[in-house]
Order: sequence, then structure tokens, then C-alpha cells
Amino acid sequence: MNPMLDKLSTLWPEMTLLAGACVCMLAGLSGSAVVRRSPRWIAAVSLLLAGLCVATSSVAEPRHTGAALVGVAGLAVYVKMAIVAVGLLLLLIASQVPDRLRQTQDAEAATGRGGVFDPAGVMRGEFFAFFLLSLCGAMLCAGAEDLVWLFLALELTSLPTYVMVATSRDRAGAQESAVKYFFLGAMAAAVFLYGFALIYGATGSTQYDQIAAFVHAQSASGQALPPLFIVGLVLAVVGVSFKIAAVPMHFYAADVYQGAAGPVTAFLAFVPKTAGFVSLIGLLGPACQANAEQLQPVIWLLWIMAVLSMTVGNTLGLLQHNVKRVLAYSSIAHSGYMLVGLIAAVAAATTPGAVTAGEHLGNGVAALLFYLVAYGLATLGAFAVLGCVTTDQGDEAQTYDDIAGLGQRHPLLGVIMLISVLSLVGLPPMVGFLGKIYLFGSAIQHGYIWLVIIAVLNSAISAVYYLRIIGACYFAKPNDQTQVAVSPAVQLGALVAAVGAVMLGVAGGRLVDAARDAAAPPDAAVVETAPLPDGDAESWSPQWADTSVKW
Amino acid sequence: MLTTLAVDSFSHYAPLGVLLLIALAFGAGNLVLTRVVGPRRLGEVKGMVYESGVNPISSARRRFNVRFYIVAMTFLVFDVEIVFLYPWATTFPSLAEGSELAPLFLGRMLFFVLTSVIAFAYAWRKGVFRYD
Amino acid sequence: MPETIGLHSFILSHFLLTGAVVFALGLVGFLSRRNLIVMFLCTEMMFQGVAISLVAFSRYHANDTGQTFVIFVLTIAAAEAALALGLVVLLFRRKRTLDALAWSQLHG
Repeated sequence: MNPMLDKLSTLWPEMTLLAGACVCMLAGLSGSAVVRRSPRWIAAVSLLLAGLCVATSSVAEPRHTGAALVGVAGLAVYVKMAIVAVGLLLLLIASQVPDRLRQTQDAEAATGRGGVFDPAGVMRGEFFAFFLLSLCGAMLCAGAEDLVWLFLALELTSLPTYVMVATSRDRAGAQESAVKYFFLGAMAAAVFLYGFALIYGATGSTQYDQIAAFVHAQSASGQALPPLFIVGLVLAVVGVSFKIAAVPMHFYAADVYQGAAGPVTAFLAFVPKTAGFVSLIGLLGPACQANAEQLQPVIWLLWIMAVLSMTVGNTLGLLQHNVKRVLAYSSIAHSGYMLVGLIAAVAAATTPGAVTAGEHLGNGVAALLFYLVAYGLATLGAFAVLGCVTTDQGDEAQTYDDIAGLGQRHPLLGVIMLISVLSLVGLPPMVGFLGKIYLFGSAIQHGYIWLVIIAVLNSAISAVYYLRIIGACYFAKPNDQTQVAVSPAVQLGALVAAVGAVMLGVAGGRLVDAARDAAAPPDAAVVETAPLPDGDAESWSPQWADTSVKW
Repeated sequence: MLTTLAVDSFSHYAPLGVLLLIALAFGAGNLVLTRVVGPRRLGEVKGMVYESGVNPISSARRRFNVRFYIVAMTFLVFDVEIVFLYPWATTFPSLAEGSELAPLFLGRMLFFVLTSVIAFAYAWRKGVFRYD
Repeated sequence: MPETIGLHSFILSHFLLTGAVVFALGLVGFLSRRNLIVMFLCTEMMFQGVAISLVAFSRYHANDTGQTFVIFVLTIAAAEAALALGLVVLLFRRKRTLDALAWSQLHG
């Protein structure tokens, strides 16, 4: 079969989302009131269809002989499924965002007075089109096996989010945060692009399997990796750390999370983070053909990034009075926790002589993939609740005072907030607890005791500000300066997220298994891509190929 | 051999250097000549932007209608399409007659153009091309 | 690597240095300037610095990947330019200034 057609057949979910985005964009401009209110339904249908494509592809998709394709298939299916599932919940809580804008209401009011609908200022179609495009970009990151592709996928994830932030609220704050997000994002994109260019320069290829082959050849012949490659990898990791909001590219997080509307903030906390982490896994995969000594600078970089992200995020989180900013710093800190899993994975894959390296790599990456979903659910619930409370000035709830007594005023929202926050702290039986156990466990397995001690201390610090949120919700005098208005869609989305957080915490084993299965194949690919013309004979032996097909 | 190539590739630029020098000499020479030979008369009319053209109505530094920016943005996006069409157009005829890749290549480019058509329809409906 | 079309590594280093200088100038400008348009131009400069390196590497390795990459980089740069123009016009209409410091309402 033609390799190009083969490649296309793995892209049905993305193409479904793209088609959905196009339809949304045009339908939002329709003269008919029914049609122009339909983009949220179109978005939901295309997400469901994309999910169907992912689900069927995981079963029916023929195992490819191309090593890189085998490598990412399992990972890609898991990540795409997670994106569809959390994407649907995000869609539920974000379904009202464009309708709340003044220009939408003005345009509808003018139509109601018998005028012709003027589509110029209405952002309904665009909002959901960008929503789908960004999800599509994140999915493409999961399937990337080439640096060019990865670059385009990362940009496709980010560019729509800039517009979503800018148009999510009428306030100047939303536009300010959009401009900060955009400018820092463009700068970060240039940084990781430079990293990609240097990796290409050092290895002569942008394809993952060829980069892996190059690194393996260097490693097998006992040579040090070219400095160009190491510098390129460092720049790429630093640049991509913007997407996951980790130190040193974390500066935007607090302002952007504060400025954007609650549902959009939840989107920012999950989708670009997922795309970023999946890209990091993809980027580090080929590099892990080297041994730990050769890769030491990158491991140190990740270590420092993890420690600083956790510490900076949690310390600054303590000092905030604005709940959205608190959650933004918590997002930075959680990126630090997830980097711990990534370090464990890299350490396992580069430890020499470990035939079972795959399993270890799987552990770190599996923990990371599981935690992404855990964090996505918890943060989604928290931001959804915040989005339901408005102050007297018509602004969204921001401070601890704004949400005071929420537990008494609206018990359901209070419980959702409670579950979400407890999951973020990492208390049993919430999913966050299980996720943290897996993450830190994978790091302990590889001797990163200090890293785990720092991470646990950080979790303890973070409990202070998380409990402050709960304290405000349940033990503070109810604030009568705010209104609580819940639409059924938001309620449903947040409720499902909260129930999911508990259910997965209680019976998360299945998802962990799925995540582990997802993480296992990359190693099969890493082993299989190893053979080179001058590689050792053993890795050429056909039994390796058999192993990877079986997985 | 490599070094020769490198030196060669630099010597290719010699005509360019000559051209640059001529251009500079021409510009500087004209300036000097008008300064030396030309008559000098100063006045309000003489100082106008277009001395023998239409009278200016206001400062050139006024603010432009925001429509111009929207048109510029639209142009920017559609302009880049060509970058993809051109390499495609140069390779497409070289595909073998009846190759199974031909419909695939054509289909992909048609799909690509279709997305531009959708973008165009969107911009049209949004009123980007309306100037009233 | 076919040597005849490859680039000598000595010449390569010239191009890489040019690319790195353009990239660094862009980065310094981005961090030091406060006008939004100039800041955006600086990010574009960073992209162009990368493009120079990519084309040089492409010639050095004698394959087309780098040049293909540049075409995609240009596309993304154009998309970002359109987005930046839109955002900047939006901001200017609200505040009548392009000074980045005028936008500091959000803080902890």
C-alpha cells in the first residue's frame, strides 16, 4: 500500500475536526438564527465523530512496518482519546462563552428589532472553530514523527488559543492577557524552532526515526553527541516549556489565566499542556538512544526545570489573593510534578544494559499521561465553578472573597470545587492522589530520591493555598455581592469532571493500564529503529521486529 | 574541491558588487550635481510635496481607516498560498502518466485550495471586502 | 553526503553565525523594546535567523528538508503577522497607544 495513503488513514480524527471547524466558521455567520446558534452542536458532533475515528482506528488500524509509526501509534491513540474526552467536557463548560459577549447580544438585539443580521462583530462560529482547530493541533502533536510536523502542530495548537483568549470576554483584561500570551508565545516558538533547526543541522534529518538512528550510531561508537545536537535539544525543550507553562517560560501563566474567561482558562490549562508534554515525549524519544552520560545536560535541564517549576509555582501561589492566579501558579507547579515523570522516563531509557528499559520508560511516561488527564479533570472543574460566579460589576469571580460561602449558597458547585481542589492537592480517594503516586513512584524507582522529596514537600506547601480555597467556600461568611448563575451545560460538564476525578481515583487502574499500553510501544520503536547500516548485528535480528509487532 | 566551490560561489557576487557601486555613484552623483549646477529658489509652493501636482489636503501622517489593516491581513494570508502552489505545480507534471500518486497529489492540492475558498467565503460574509 | 553540492563547513559556520546573530538581535530587541509593533518585528527577526540557519544546514547536508521547513516557517510567520496585526489594532483602539507598559492591569 502507498505509504502516503497509509499515513493519511491515521489522520481521520484530525480531518474530522478540521471539517467541523470549517462548518462552524461558516454556520456562525448564517442569516438564520437557528443555524448561527448551531456551532456548539456542530463542534460536539465533530468531536464525537473524531472520537469514533480514534476508537475504531485503534482496533482496525493495521500495524505499520515503519518503525516510527509503530512507535507513536499507541501513544497517539491514548492521547487523542483523552483529548476527545476532556474536549467534550471543555465544550460543555465553554458553550456559553461567545453568547455572553456584548457584541453578540447587540447583533442579536438588532436582528430582533427586525434588522438584517450583521455578522461583523459576532464571534460564535469562530470561537468553536478555533476550539476545534486547537484540539486538532494537539492531536497532531501526538501523531508527530517529524520536526516540521511537530512545529506546525504546536503552532496549530497555540494560534487559535490566542484568539480565544482575546475574544473570551469584553474586558480590557482579556485583550491584555491575549497580547501577553501571543507575544511570549511567538518568542517561545522562535526558540524551539531554533532548537529544531539545530537538531536538523546536527543529524541531517527532521524525521524522528532517522534522528534516533543517528544518536544510536553515535552512542554505539562511543562518541559524544555533537554539541549542536545537545544545544538544539535544550532550546527545543525550553521553547516547548512555554506550552506546558513550566519555568523558565512560565511568566505569562498568571496574567493569562486571570484575564481569560473561566472556561477558556480551563482550555488553556489542558490542551496546550497536553500538546507540550506529548511533544516533549516525542522529542526526547530519539535522544534516549544515547546513554545517560551523553544526555546528562538535558537530564539536568529537566531536573532544574522540574524543581524550579514546583517551587516557584507553589511559593508564588501562596502569595496570591486571586483564585484564578492561584490556579495558574498551581498549573505551573503541576507541570513541575509531571516533569518528574518525564525525568524518570528519560533516566530509564538511557540506563545502559536494561533490556526492560521499555517498561521503565513506560512507567514514567504512563504516569505522565495519566496525570495529564487527572490534572485536566480537576482544573476543569475548578475553573468551571469560578466561571459560574459573577460579581456585581458583571465580572467573573476572582478573589477568595468572591467565592466566600459558595458551599452554602450552591451546594453542588461547592462539592465540585471541593473535589477538584482535593484532587489537585493529591488527597485520596481523588484521582490526583493516584496520579502523584505513579509519578513519584516512577522517579523513586530510578533513584531520584531528592527530586521526590522536593516534590512531596511542594505538595505539602501547595495544600495551604488549596485549603484556603476550600476554607473560603465552606467556612467563610457567604458573600452577597456576587451572583451564582449556573447553566445546565456548565453544570453537567463540571459534574462529569468531578465524578470522573473520584471514579478514576477509586478505580483508575484501567486507565493506568491504558496509559501504560500507550507508553509501551514507543520503546518497541526505539529498539527497532536502532539498527543502522553500521549498527550491531544483534539489533538487526528479526526477533526485535517480532516483539514490536506483538506489542 | 569543496573550497574551490566556495570561492567560486563568492566570485559570483562580483557583478552584484559592481552594480551596487554604480547605483551608489549614480545617486550620490545626481545629488552633488543638482547641488552644484541647479538653481535654488525657496518658497511655500516650492516646498510642497508635489510642486506641480495636486495640492495636499492634510498631513501624510493621518490615521488610516482600519479597513486597510484588515485588507492587509487578508492579503498576507492568501499571499502565502502561492508558496505552496508553486513547488506543487513544478513537481506535478513530472509524475508518471497514470501514476497512482497523481490523483492523490491533485486531491491534496484541491483540498488545500478548498480551505482557501472557505476562508474567502468567510471573509466575504464577514464584510472584509465591503467598502461603504 | 554527496560532496559536490555540499557546503564546506567553514562556509557553513559563516551562515550559522549570521543566523545566530539575527536571532540574538531579535531576542534582545524583544526583551528591551516596549513598542508592540517593534516587539513583533523582533520575533519575526528571530524566525528569520532560524530560516537562515535552516537553509544553510539544508545546503550542508545536501537535502531539501531544511528548505521545505523554511517554507512552513514562513507560512506560520505570516499567520502570526496577521494575528499580531489584528491584536495590535484591537489594543490600539482601546488605549490609543502601542506602549506595552500601558497594558499592566493584570498583576498579583
